[in-house]
Amino acid sequence: MPYQLAVTVRASVPAARVAEVQELLREAGRKGTAGELFPFAEVESIHFARVVLIPEAPGGTDAAMPASVVYMAEVDGPLEAHLRDLVRKAGDGLGRVFGLCDGYPAGGSPGSSERAQIAWLRSHGTSCAAYYVNTAGRGRQQIDQEARLREAIEEFLDRNGPALAGASPAGVRAAIQEHVKGRADLAWARARPAPPPLGWRVRQAVHLVGVPLAALALLPLLVAALPVWAVLLRLHERRDVPDPARPSHDHVRELADCEDFVAQNPFTAVGSVKAGRFRRATLTAVLFVVDYGVRHVFNRGNLAGVRTIHFARWVFIDGRRRMIFASNYDGSLESYMDDFIDKVAWGLNAVFSNGQGYPRVRWLVLDGAKDELAFKNYLRCHQVPTQVWYSAYDTWTLRDLNTNARIRAGLFGPLGPAETEAWLALL
Amino acid sequence: MTTTLDRQDIQGLVTRGYSTLPRAGFLVFAITQPTAARAALGRLARRVTNGLSEPSDTAVNLAFTSDGLRRLGLETPELGGFPYEFVSGMTAPDRSRFLGDVGENAPRYWRWGGPATPPVHVLVMLYARDEQRLHRLEEETRQGALAGGALAETIRLGTAELTGHEPFGFRDGISQPLVEGLSKAEGLSKAAAAGAGGGGEGDQVVRAGEFVLGYPNEYGLLTDRPLLPSRYDPDGLLPRTPQGAADFGRNGSYLVFRQLRQDVEAFWGYLDAQTRRPDGSSDPAARDALAARMVGRWSGGAPLVHAPRQDDPALATDNDFGYFATDPDGLRCPLGAHIRRANPRDSLDPRPGSAESVSIGRRHRLLRRGRPYGPDGSGDGTGARGLHFIGLNANISRQFEFIQHTWLNDPDFNGLHDAPDPLVGPRQDNRSTFTEQGRPVRTRHLALPQFVTVRGGAYFFLPGLRALHWLCTAAPEGGQQ
Ligand code: HEM
Repeated sequence: MPYQLAVTVRASVPAARVAEVQELLREAGRKGTAGELFPFAEVESIHFARVVLIPEAPGGTDAAMPASVVYMAEVDGPLEAHLRDLVRKAGDGLGRVFGLCDGYPAGGSPGSSERAQIAWLRSHGTSCAAYYVNTAGRGRQQIDQEARLREAIEEFLDRNGPALAGASPAGVRAAIQEHVKGRADLAWARARPAPPPLGWRVRQAVHLVGVPLAALALLPLLVAALPVWAVLLRLHERRDVPDPARPSHDHVRELADCEDFVAQNPFTAVGSVKAGRFRRATLTAVLFVVDYGVRHVFNRGNLAGVRTIHFARWVFIDGRRRMIFASNYDGSLESYMDDFIDKVAWGLNAVFSNGQGYPRVRWLVLDGAKDELAFKNYLRCHQVPTQVWYSAYDTWTLRDLNTNARIRAGLFGPLGPAETEAWLALL
Repeated sequence: MTTTLDRQDIQGLVTRGYSTLPRAGFLVFAITQPTAARAALGRLARRVTNGLSEPSDTAVNLAFTSDGLRRLGLETPELGGFPYEFVSGMTAPDRSRFLGDVGENAPRYWRWGGPATPPVHVLVMLYARDEQRLHRLEEETRQGALAGGALAETIRLGTAELTGHEPFGFRDGISQPLVEGLSKAEGLSKAAAAGAGGGGEGDQVVRAGEFVLGYPNEYGLLTDRPLLPSRYDPDGLLPRTPQGAADFGRNGSYLVFRQLRQDVEAFWGYLDAQTRRPDGSSDPAARDALAARMVGRWSGGAPLVHAPRQDDPALATDNDFGYFATDPDGLRCPLGAHIRRANPRDSLDPRPGSAESVSIGRRHRLLRRGRPYGPDGSGDGTGARGLHFIGLNANISRQFEFIQHTWLNDPDFNGLHDAPDPLVGPRQDNRSTFTEQGRPVRTRHLALPQFVTVRGGAYFFLPGLRALHWLCTAAPEGGQQ
């Protein structure tokens, strides 16, 4: 069972080539899913992948915040294997788009050696300030297998429904077990999925204990700093200027053109961090806490009540003066935003209130996203079109994936009568 | 705190469905000469029924598409304050994809409202006590509207007499959100305040701002609405906001119109085939039960949650139920049934069964004002039957579109898979299924055909009466030609 990495490769684009990149991405994304130019479907490690153009910071001219091309993918580790496969299968497309960026090896000619490309991608890698995985450790292969298992069982029940109608729950389950045992292609279903590699688990465990220990050591300092920080925070919050802008209809149309083709959608947004060291430091600290939270607390299918996010990442760019937020979620943007407002407004406020123009927040977590339309307008204004996007399991929502996993987990092994009924109700 | 609605300024369709006026006809017009059209519509506007009156003879309501508003002279950039969905219109490609208007449902096949048919600018909704009165009302309206060539009739949408049953045969119009500030809601809001919970009647009192612009919505906020610089309204016809803007939106609502053809034969034919006895003979009781399970109510109206075995006339209009406590697993009312999707009541995340779950649901409600049509041919060709689906809401995206996309059409709704709404969902492939949860295991019905097809539609704005008056008399001259 592999672990899921967030890959981010980013390279700046000279202003003169931005239009060309846009055109290329529009062309590549024409049918809403990445197709010929970026054959991500052939790269087996990918769960989701996208290539987006992040525009230069509003206001233009600031050379420190240029436009850039960003490849973002959620993949089964290890990284090296992913990059190798990626360059082999999608090297041409990446070469064409990154070839328009500064310094791509051999100007992106298809002949440039695989190794040089991999080295270049690596050297342009950016790490996440925080990274959320809905269910850590559930790899591509497991997802595909469990989907097939469910389909096989559902078909078995469809065919044998009348014959099984009179059977007891245990009897039905036994019949299903027999059927699965008889199928060589489902032999793997008898074992539990393997755990993630030991090295990864050790690193997670060290992080799990190490961070609180370090915090404990720093506690006196933190306690002393807290009142000062709180006063500064309120001072800053009072001076903040929410941006009342509504997104232009053309902008919304451009975004909507890339949405609602399959069961999931991509979300990509970029925003400027509010000026000054205080906000930058606060955001860094908040994301540190978020990262800890999503790695160790919210890593079982539920992000504080929101169960529809497959992956999400927060990435600082331009020397922490801007931040990219990117996610893959089930359903529509409207339902995604409503979930945010209804369930995790506090969490969004803590992060995004450090961004310019966000609706007014008090004490870092209050109000903010609760101002429904102001919040929705803010998100739409900062969102960028995700023209090239790929989902490896585009008809399966998280609810499905979890059901599939539970079907597999309960198929063999002892179950009591109530558990058996509950298991059959999954089908 | 309760809100007092300015019912005199709100169009009557918001406050009532005119069930005492069982005859209705809808005239759709295109504006050919804006100036003359304003005069003609201005005359008609005087007859528009407000939310206070209790019409016993006839009623008239008037609504406009965004193109219609523009042509009448509302020329602010992007129609500022109107939402994207309304301004781009129901047939914009992204809306079609979102609403499932693809394949057979695609706007290019529509009878009206699509790219291949004449423009849709104005919707005139006429209601009457009997056929004769409707006929007279229609003739008067036509004469007034068409005089001088100001407007051209795009289509006339006839309806069938309102019987309380839609063409598949089910009682309709039972469950409606109760709007805060309207009489029936008042008594019940006390029950809600007492924390009734559980998704029953008292929980359905919904803030007025979910249906009428200018009042607090379920977030306690005002939904975005079109506000005009006060110079647009020198005579002060429109109400003013505290900041001094002319409030064109106040007391208005968005009206979603969809002509939905129902293939009655296909529906009952499929059910019949699915429920044949082993010897091949029809089993009417099983057929009706399967139909009821697709709807979530028996044809007489009784909800399956309270009447799981058979129809019960005593429960014909019963609406006092939730799903979580009585039927969390769908053993009585299947998880994918039409009414369980269109209003999941207390079964929404994050904590089904809680007051929080119900309050999340209250942000996705619709006032349904539809009328059935057919089979007399006035609707969509001889023999065709269906529903002129009409929904009122303040936020098209969070209400109508959300219900349609995230609840009805979502094949993964409520933990299901490959299972869009069994009654009204579009089917683009042969994969659609309907599942009856059961013990020991579910029964799944495969290859569900499409029973409902979209034949036309548009997003309209149903303005308040003062806004209507302003639009027809004082809006800046020179709308788009
Ligand atoms: C031809 C298509 C349709 C038919 C035949 C149909 C039929 C019905 C029936 C029989 C009921 C139960 C009666 C009642 O509770 O009033 C109902 C309820 C409902 N329908 Fe539909 N419907 C159709 C389309 C739609 C559409 C397109 C929507 C929304 C986008 C919708 C939303 C609702 C809602 C919100 C309820 C009330 C659910 C509740 O509160 O329990 N329906 N429909």
